[in-house]
Amino acid sequence: MEAIRNYLETMFLNLPNTPEVYKAKNELWQMMEDKYTELKNEGKSENEAVGTVIAEFGNLDELAEDLGIKQFVHQPRQEQTPNAVSLSMEDVRQFLREHSRHSYFVALSVFLFILSACCPIFFGAAADTSLRSSDVLDASGIILMFVFIAIGVGMLVYSNVCMGHWKHLEEGNFVTDFATTDYIHHEMEHYKSTHALLLTIGIMLCILSVVPPILLDAASSFAADTLEDCSAGFVLIFVAIGVFLIVISSMRMGGYRTLLHLNNQNTIGGNYVPEQQDRQQYHNSTLAAIMSVYWPTITCLYLIWSFLSFDWWITWIVWPIAAIVESLIKNISKN
Amino acid sequence: MAISSDVIRGYNDTMILYLLLDQPSYGYEISRQIKTLSHEKYIIKETTLYSAFTRMEKNGYITSFQDQNTATGKRRTYYQITGKGRAYYQEKCEEWLLTQEVVEQFIRKGETENGSY
Repeated sequence: MEAIRNYLETMFLNLPNTPEVYKAKNELWQMMEDKYTELKNEGKSENEAVGTVIAEFGNLDELAEDLGIKQFVHQPRQEQTPNAVSLSMEDVRQFLREHSRHSYFVALSVFLFILSACCPIFFGAAADTSLRSSDVLDASGIILMFVFIAIGVGMLVYSNVCMGHWKHLEEGNFVTDFATTDYIHHEMEHYKSTHALLLTIGIMLCILSVVPPILLDAASSFAADTLEDCSAGFVLIFVAIGVFLIVISSMRMGGYRTLLHLNNQNTIGGNYVPEQQDRQQYHNSTLAAIMSVYWPTITCLYLIWSFLSFDWWITWIVWPIAAIVESLIKNISKN
Repeated sequence: MAISSDVIRGYNDTMILYLLLDQPSYGYEISRQIKTLSHEKYIIKETTLYSAFTRMEKNGYITSFQDQNTATGKRRTYYQITGKGRAYYQEKCEEWLLTQEVVEQFIRKGETENGSY
């Protein structure tokens, strides 16, 4: 049965995604399924039944005129999708494997970047309490911060170089056959619940990051000042773990989407893409250039403001405002 | 000896309409009946059948509707003959009788079995 389904899907893979074609595929599938069931009931073996059904299927040429797909049926395959290379199941599995490792590396390096800011805070707090070696502690805090950053950058570079040979996926013209597309889709559905869970925990951790300062503030009346000095550090630890979870789960979902986006969306084979994302958001090239550095700039602003003022309780307001401004710019630029 | 698809193509519509004369039917059922009635000498391809359905529906000879099979509960597309379809069927029958009559004149009986011309 699976073999027949694959055969039919492969035949229709590069046809345009129109109601007529879709209907034809369903009708043909109905007939093939009926024939297969009857052959099996007659006591034919799986191979015999599949063979007969496929042999008696006929030729799509006959449907070309009725479906308005003449130019597609008569054109050789390469012309519809120029230089299209078919990705094998093994390629896809390897991509997903390497991409998931890449996600870990990226998420871990982001984690280290955020955590690096903790070092001066904790060591600074420690320096305040021990008067003797305060300079040494301050210095080691700074050094450790740079060590963290260095490790993070190293991991990013290493992982990007490793992923380098997949770069062509974004540039070249690739297609995946039905069985492979189905596999990717299945894997993605499978990962969805994990993704939702990690994302939720990640976001909750980011929100809960305000809890340590509040608690420490309340405790400061009978605890040492040192703890209060550390509160920003605890915020960062919460945020770091939260962001780590968000990055890792989003990137893995991104991997599946990348593969599903490979097939031309105007063909039956491209039917699997869950939602069409308009990638070209800004038509104005100047605006596009500015918007490409929008979120990094916002991040810098947030960190600068927060670290200069230490008003962590209010600086988060940058994020919702930035998000509103971004959607405003998007909508204005569309009109 | 296999049947020539060129010749029979013009009469796929006739066969399908004949099978729809008494009651509506669906894709596989029609293909199965053609196979049985022709004593397995003609097996219609799925694509040929579907192509005939769409063409005849466009011409108004048949209409289609969705229905659930009472036995299996499976939803299928059923086809039903129209008045125009019956007239067309009649026309095709007369055409065939004429064709047969003409071609018949040029067939020498008993020759092919002996293998001599």
